Amino acid sequence: MNSHAFAALAHIQILVLPVGPIPRAAFEKYAAEIRTFDSIRLGDIPAGMKDERARFMPNPLSSGNLYLSYPSHPAPPRHMSLSLFRPSHFTLGIIGVAACSSSYSLASALKQFENTVLDISPEGSTFPLAKVCFAFEDEESAGSTGLRDTLPGIVSIPSVMGNKKLYIGTLLADLCSHILAELGRVYHVLESPIGNEYLNSAIFPILPSPSEMPLSLSSGNIGYFSHSSQPELDSSSLATPGIQIKRSSTAGPGISHTASFIQRQSTLGPPAVRKRPSAIGAVSSHGRLYKVLGDFFLLAGRTEDALLWYAEAIVLFKTGQDPVWHASVLEGMATVFVLDTWSAGQGLQSSVSNNGVKEPWADIYEQLSQAVALYHKAPVPSELSQDHSLLALTYCTAVMRQTSLLFCTWSTKGWGALAFASMLQPGSTSYTQKTTSDSSWTNLERLSIMSGVSRSQIANTVSQAHGPWLLHLGPHERLTILQSMASIYSSLGYKRKEAFILREVISCIMDLIVCGREENDVLWKSDVGSASIGNRSENGDEVNIVGKGAVGVRQNEILAGNQSILKLLVRACKVLGVDLEAVGVAKATDGTSSEIGGGDSNDCPVEDLEGSADVARESFGWSELQVGVIREAIAVAEALPAPDPLAVARISLSALRTMHSVLASSDQYHLYQTAGRALAAMRRRGDAPAVEYWAGHPIMSIALLPLALHRLPIENLFSILTAKSSATNSLLGGITDPFLYNPRKSSGPQSKNLIVQGEPIELTITLRNPYVFDLEIQSISLSTTGVEFESSPVSALVIPPNTLYSITIIGTAKTRGTLVFRGCIVQAPWGAPREFLLPVPTDADQNLFARRQSAVKCEIGRTKYWGLDSRPWEKDERRLSTLLPSLKIPPQFLQCVVVPEQPLLRIRWTSLTHGAVMLYNGEESTIRLTLENISALPIDFLRLSFEDSTIGPAQEALSEGELSVFETYETEFDLLHRKALSWRNEKEITNILPNQKVVLSVTCVGKVGCAHGTVHISYSQVNREHEEPVPASEVFYTRQLSYPVTVTVYHMLECHDLRLMPMVDVNYDDINHRASNSVHLLPEVDDPAEWCLFAIDVRNTYGLPFEVTFEREQAGTESAAVSSTVPPGSMSRIILPVKKFRLSDDQISQSIPTLSDRQFVVGKSKLSIEEEQAQRELFWYREELLKIVSARWKETNGDRHGYLSLRQQRLTLPMLKVLRTDVVPVDLTLIMDTPDNSLQELDYSGGKYIASPNEMFYLRVEVANSSLSPLAMALDLMFDPAEQVLSEGVLSNMAIGKLKPDETKAVEVPLCFLCTGRFEIGAEVRTTGTLKDSRVGASRICVSVREDG
Amino acid sequence: MSHHLFLLSPSDTPIYSLTHYSTKLPQSTSSSLSSNLPTWSTSAFAGTLTALSGASSATQSHHVQGGSVRMGGGQDRHVIQMIANASLDVIEDVMRKESAMYLKSVDKFNEWTVSAFITPGNMKFILLHETKNDDGIRSFFHDVWELYVKTMLNPFHTAHSPIRSIVFDTRVRASAKKYL
Repeated sequence: MNSHAFAALAHIQILVLPVGPIPRAAFEKYAAEIRTFDSIRLGDIPAGMKDERARFMPNPLSSGNLYLSYPSHPAPPRHMSLSLFRPSHFTLGIIGVAACSSSYSLASALKQFENTVLDISPEGSTFPLAKVCFAFEDEESAGSTGLRDTLPGIVSIPSVMGNKKLYIGTLLADLCSHILAELGRVYHVLESPIGNEYLNSAIFPILPSPSEMPLSLSSGNIGYFSHSSQPELDSSSLATPGIQIKRSSTAGPGISHTASFIQRQSTLGPPAVRKRPSAIGAVSSHGRLYKVLGDFFLLAGRTEDALLWYAEAIVLFKTGQDPVWHASVLEGMATVFVLDTWSAGQGLQSSVSNNGVKEPWADIYEQLSQAVALYHKAPVPSELSQDHSLLALTYCTAVMRQTSLLFCTWSTKGWGALAFASMLQPGSTSYTQKTTSDSSWTNLERLSIMSGVSRSQIANTVSQAHGPWLLHLGPHERLTILQSMASIYSSLGYKRKEAFILREVISCIMDLIVCGREENDVLWKSDVGSASIGNRSENGDEVNIVGKGAVGVRQNEILAGNQSILKLLVRACKVLGVDLEAVGVAKATDGTSSEIGGGDSNDCPVEDLEGSADVARESFGWSELQVGVIREAIAVAEALPAPDPLAVARISLSALRTMHSVLASSDQYHLYQTAGRALAAMRRRGDAPAVEYWAGHPIMSIALLPLALHRLPIENLFSILTAKSSATNSLLGGITDPFLYNPRKSSGPQSKNLIVQGEPIELTITLRNPYVFDLEIQSISLSTTGVEFESSPVSALVIPPNTLYSITIIGTAKTRGTLVFRGCIVQAPWGAPREFLLPVPTDADQNLFARRQSAVKCEIGRTKYWGLDSRPWEKDERRLSTLLPSLKIPPQFLQCVVVPEQPLLRIRWTSLTHGAVMLYNGEESTIRLTLENISALPIDFLRLSFEDSTIGPAQEALSEGELSVFETYETEFDLLHRKALSWRNEKEITNILPNQKVVLSVTCVGKVGCAHGTVHISYSQVNREHEEPVPASEVFYTRQLSYPVTVTVYHMLECHDLRLMPMVDVNYDDINHRASNSVHLLPEVDDPAEWCLFAIDVRNTYGLPFEVTFEREQAGTESAAVSSTVPPGSMSRIILPVKKFRLSDDQISQSIPTLSDRQFVVGKSKLSIEEEQAQRELFWYREELLKIVSARWKETNGDRHGYLSLRQQRLTLPMLKVLRTDVVPVDLTLIMDTPDNSLQELDYSGGKYIASPNEMFYLRVEVANSSLSPLAMALDLMFDPAEQVLSEGVLSNMAIGKLKPDETKAVEVPLCFLCTGRFEIGAEVRTTGTLKDSRVGASRICVSVREDG
Repeated sequence: MSHHLFLLSPSDTPIYSLTHYSTKLPQSTSSSLSSNLPTWSTSAFAGTLTALSGASSATQSHHVQGGSVRMGGGQDRHVIQMIANASLDVIEDVMRKESAMYLKSVDKFNEWTVSAFITPGNMKFILLHETKNDDGIRSFFHDVWELYVKTMLNPFHTAHSPIRSIVFDTRVRASAKKYL
C-alpha cells in the first residue's frame, strides 16, 4: 500500500541500508528509529546555500513540511526513464546503517557503504541525490572504536549519546537539505536549452550521462556535476571546487529564480520564466520544464510554488500535444490541493466538513478522473515495450491514487483530518484497519453513509486499473497493483471480486516461481560436477541427477511462502463455495485406532449422521467455476517450489468429498489420481499419514449375520427345569395372547443377539462408494466396546464405483458379557484411520431424522440467506441448529450378549434315507437318530420337541374358534393323542459326555395330511459346578438341533356308513342264506334284545389288498374280532354284534370336555337345553362305542400294519336308540297253558315265536326298573294286525304301579291269534305323571302263526 | 459483439446461461494501453493471468500453452463467468439499498459492463455486454422475466434446478435477437 499512498508525489523517498556486519535485530532497531520521522518541518532544514542549489530551499520561517517515506528497496532500473517524469518514484536519499565496533572501523564501513550504493544505483541514473552513513556504536565497544576521527560521508553516533532521536532528526534534516540542493542542481541542467531538448526528446525522457552530453550544447564551460552515483557531497564539507564551477556556469538561464524571489513575487515569476526560455529559442515548449519545476517544489514542500508552476504547465499542455505529462500535472495539482487542505485544516477538522452541495473532494476526484482518462487515451509513439510498461504503470498508479482518495475518505468516515493523515501516511495510522475490520454489511454501509462515498463508487474506480495492460507491467509492479486492489476489495466487503483478483495474484506469483525454476535449471545444468543441488523432481525429492556419486541433498526449505500461497488459495476458493480444508489433517502422528476411539469421537460421528441426513440440501455456487478453481488450486499446489504433497492431497480430496456431485467423472478420476500421487510422494518421503479419511460416511450398515440354527443359543428360564412339562399346553395353546393385536409385544425389548463365547461370528458391513472410480480402502476394522473381541481387519479393499458393497468380518468374543459394536475404523490408503460410529436408530432418532429431513425439504425452495451467506458452512450455523434440537440421547449401538461356552451336538447318522418316511395311514414307524457330542463339554439336558405340518392348520382352526364343540374336541384329540412324531421313552437318555454317541428313537405315525415334520433336539449343559456361580443368573442357554423329516402318507382305507341295527330286526333266514362271515358270531347273541349290530363299509382306495380286522372288547362279553380282506377298489361291509349298554345319567350329562386349558371359550351354540342334552348323549355314547370297537389293518401280502381310525364316523339319534338299553327293560314272552296246567313258553327260533292260530296264549310282560329311582309306570300293548288278534282287557294304559329300583313286575294278557301269518306284538312302558315323551322302555316280538305251530 | 446472460439462483448457482452474438459491431474503444501486449506464455499460470486480465481477448495472436490448466469450455468463458460472479458483490450491495429490479450498468470489469435484473424471488439475471443499449436490455430482461415466471409455474420445477426447457431457450434466444 505504501507505494500507492495518495500523496506519494510529495514524498521524498529515503532508502535505509544495512552496512557491514550488522545484526539483523540491531539494524531493525536503528532503522525503525529512523523511520519514525515521516515528516520534517521546513523550518528545520538548514539552508546555507546561495547558488542555484538554493532554489528549492525553504524560506526561513515557512510553515510547511517535508514528507519522507522509507521504501524497502529502490526503484528497479527499468523505471529509470521515469526519473524526470516522476522524481518522487525514486529514492532520493540513502542512509546506511552500520554498527561499528573495535573490529569494524569507520573507514571500512564507509568503503562498504560506497560500494553498496554503487551496486544498487543503476548506471547513468540521476538518483540518489544524497547519501549518508550512520555508524551506531555498540554498547560494549563504546569509546574504543575511534569515532573521534571524522570521515566525510559517515556520521558516527556514540552509544552514550542521550537523545539519539533528536540527533537523528537533525541528521535527517541535513540530508534533506542536501537533497533539495541537488534537486536545484538537476533543475539547473534542465533549464538549459539542451536540457530542455532532452526533456522533450521522448515521452519519458532521460537525462543522459554527462559523457554523452553533446559538448556543443553544453558549451564547454558547463562544469557538469559529477556522476550521480558519486556526488561530491558530504556531510562535513560542503564546499568543493566542482560546485563552484557549476555555480558560475549555470548563471545563464535561470539566474533570477532564487527561492526568495519567487516567494516574494509569485505573481511576477511565471511570466518572466515563460518569456525567458522561449526567448532562448528552443523548439520545444516549456510545459515539461514547468511541470518538473512543480514536481520539485512539491517535493520540497512548497505547495504554493508547485501550484503556480503546475498552472503554468497546464496552460501549455492545453493543446493536447502531450497528454501524459498533462495528466501528470493534474495528479500533481490534486496532491497539492490535498496537502493544502491538510495544512489549512490540521487543527480544526470540523471546519472542513462539507457545507456545500458538492463534496469537497469532488474537484480532486474530477481532476484525477481527467488524468486517468488522459493516461488511458495517450498514444504511445514508440514501439518500445519499455514505454508501454511505464505508461501502464503511471496509469495504474493514477487509478490507485484516485481510488486511494475515495477509499481514505470512506474508511475514515468522511473528509477530515484522519482522511488526510491516511492519504499522506497510509502506514502510520491503523484507523483504517480498525474501521473496516468489522466487515458486516451494516458497518460498511454505515461508513458509506457517513463519508458520502458509496462502495460501488470505490469499486468502479479501482476496477479501472484492471485490464490487459497489467501484462505490460513488470512482475513486481503487477503484484503490487493487484495486491492493493485485492485489499481494497476486501476492505469494501466485495469478497468475490477479491477472490477474482486473488486468483490473479496467485497466478502472478506462480508465474514467477515457474519462470525462476526454469532459470535455475539452466543455471544448475551449467555447472555440472560441482556440488550443486538439483531442484529437479516434481515430487519434492531434490536429487542431484548430474553429479556422479553425489548424494541427494534436501534443500533447506522455507515453507512459510508456500503456506501463504495456500492460504490465499483457500481464501479465494471459500468465496466460491469450495472448502479446500474439508478434509482434516490428522492430529495424532501415530494415528492409532485406540486414540481415535476415545475422547472427541463422541460428537463427530453425530455430525456425520447429520451430514448424511442433509444430503438432500441444495448446492451452493457456480459449479463450473468451482471445478475450474479446484483444478487451478491443484496445479498451484503441485507447482510450489517445495511441493507440498499434503496440500495437494488435501485439496483434491476435499474437492472430491464436497463436490463429487457436480464433478464430471473425468475430473473425479483426475483428482483421485492426483491425490494418490501426492500420497505416494508422502510415503516415499517417509512422512506420517496425515490425511483424515475423506470419502464421506462410507459405512451404510453393520449387521450381525445370524448364527447357524444349530449353533444359536436360546435363552430359557431355569424354572422350566423344575416345572412339569405340560405338553398339552404347548401344543394346544396355539396363540395364547387374547388380543389380536398386542402393541406391547412389538414395543418390548428387542430380542437380544446372542452369541457364544469362543465361537466365531460373522458381521456384514455395507460400504458405499458414491464416486465414479474404484475407491480403495486400506483397512477396515471393527470398533467395539465391552467384552474383548478379536477380529482381523479387512485390508486392501476396492469398492467398485457407484455401488454398495458388502464385506464380511469374522471375529470371536473372548469372554462372556455384553459386546457393543460401535462402528468401524476406516483407513484410506496412506491416510489416518478414522472411526465411524453407526448407532442403531431408535424411534426418537428416526423421528428427529424425519423432522430434520422435512425441515430441509421445506426450506429447499426458499431462500432466507442468499449470496455468500448461503454457503453451506455459513448457513448450517444459523439455520438448522436453531430449528431443531440436536440429538441429546447417547446413541444406541448394535449390541450382543455373549453367553458362556455351549456344548455342540450333531446328528451323526439317521435311519432314514434322504430324511424321508413313507407310511400308510395309521402306520407306525421308528426313526433312529444317532447323536454325537462334538464339543468338550458334557450335555446334561436333552429334550425333544416335534412339529409337523398338521399341527399348524389345526391350531389355527382352534384359535379361530369357529368350530363347534364337537369338532373342537375332535381336533384337540387329534393333536394330543395322534401325534405324527413322538418320543416314547423320554427318560432313556440324560447325559451325553464329550465325544459320546447316543441313539434316539422317534416314533412316527402316518397321519393323512402330514407332509413334513421336524424333530427339535434341545440340549445344554445346565450344571456347571466348576465355574463360578453367577448370582443373578435365572436363565440358561440351550442349543437346538433340528432334523427335518419328509413324510409321505398314503391314504388307502376309508370307512363309510356306520350303522347300528337292532338285533331283533335281523332276519335270520336271510342271513343264513347269505354266506356272511359274521354269521358265526351270531350264536353268541343269546338275547337279540340285548344286542345290536355294528356295521360299517370299508373301502380300499389303494392298489393293494388289505385285511381289515375289527375287534370288540366289551365288558361282560368275550372279545370278538371280524376280519375281512378288502381288495383294491372294492368295498367290504364289516358287521360286528355289539352288546347294548347304557351310560349313567351322570356321565352323559357332562359337557363335552375340552382337552386344552383354554380360558376364553365362549359357548357359541344356540342350541336349546334338550338339543344340547341330546348332543352330549350322542358324544358320550360315541366315545364309548369307539372304546369298544377298534379297527386294524394289515397288508395282505406284507407285514405292514396299522390302525384304522373310526373317528370320522358320526353317531345319529336312531343309532343311539339302538345302542342304548332302555331304562325299563320290557321282556315279552308268549306262554301257553299246557295240559298239565303249567305254563310253557312257546317255541322260539329264528328270532320269533311259532304259534298256532285259534289257541289261547298268554302274553307275559315283565317290567323291571333298572333305574336308581322308583318309577310309576303304565304299559301299552300293540298288536299288528290288531284285528286278527283277540285279547282280554284293555291294551293301553295298563297301570303297572310304582316299581322300586330293581323291582320286577309281570303282567299277563291272554290273547288268541285268529288266523295264520306273521304278527308283531309291541309293548311300551311309560312313566306316568310326566307329560311328554315319557317312554322309558319298549320291546317287540314277532310271532309266526302257523297251522303246524 | 457478444452478450452473456446468466440466471443465478439465490445460492449463486447458474440455472441458465446464454451467449448471444449479435451482428452489431462493437465500437472500438480500445486503449493504446492494451495494445502491443507481449506474448506471455512462459508458463501455465501466465495463461490464467492473461485470461483473467482480459488480455487474451485484446490480442488475437495470443495462445496458451500448458494444457493442464485449460478451463472448461474455453478460458474466455471461464473468465466471463468469473466476472459475472464477481459482479454479484456490487449487485447485492445495490439491491439492498434500492428496490429497483433493473440495475443498469451496475458494474464494469475489464471491457465488460454488467447489467442485472432482480426478480422478487431473488433470482438474479446478469447480462454482460460491451456497448450501451439501455432500452434494449431493459426490454430483454422483462422478456426473460416473463419467460422465467412461466417456467416457474411448472409445479415440478424448483427454484434451484437448472432450466432445461427447450421452449424457454428458444424464446430467450429470440428475444435476445430482437433486442440485443
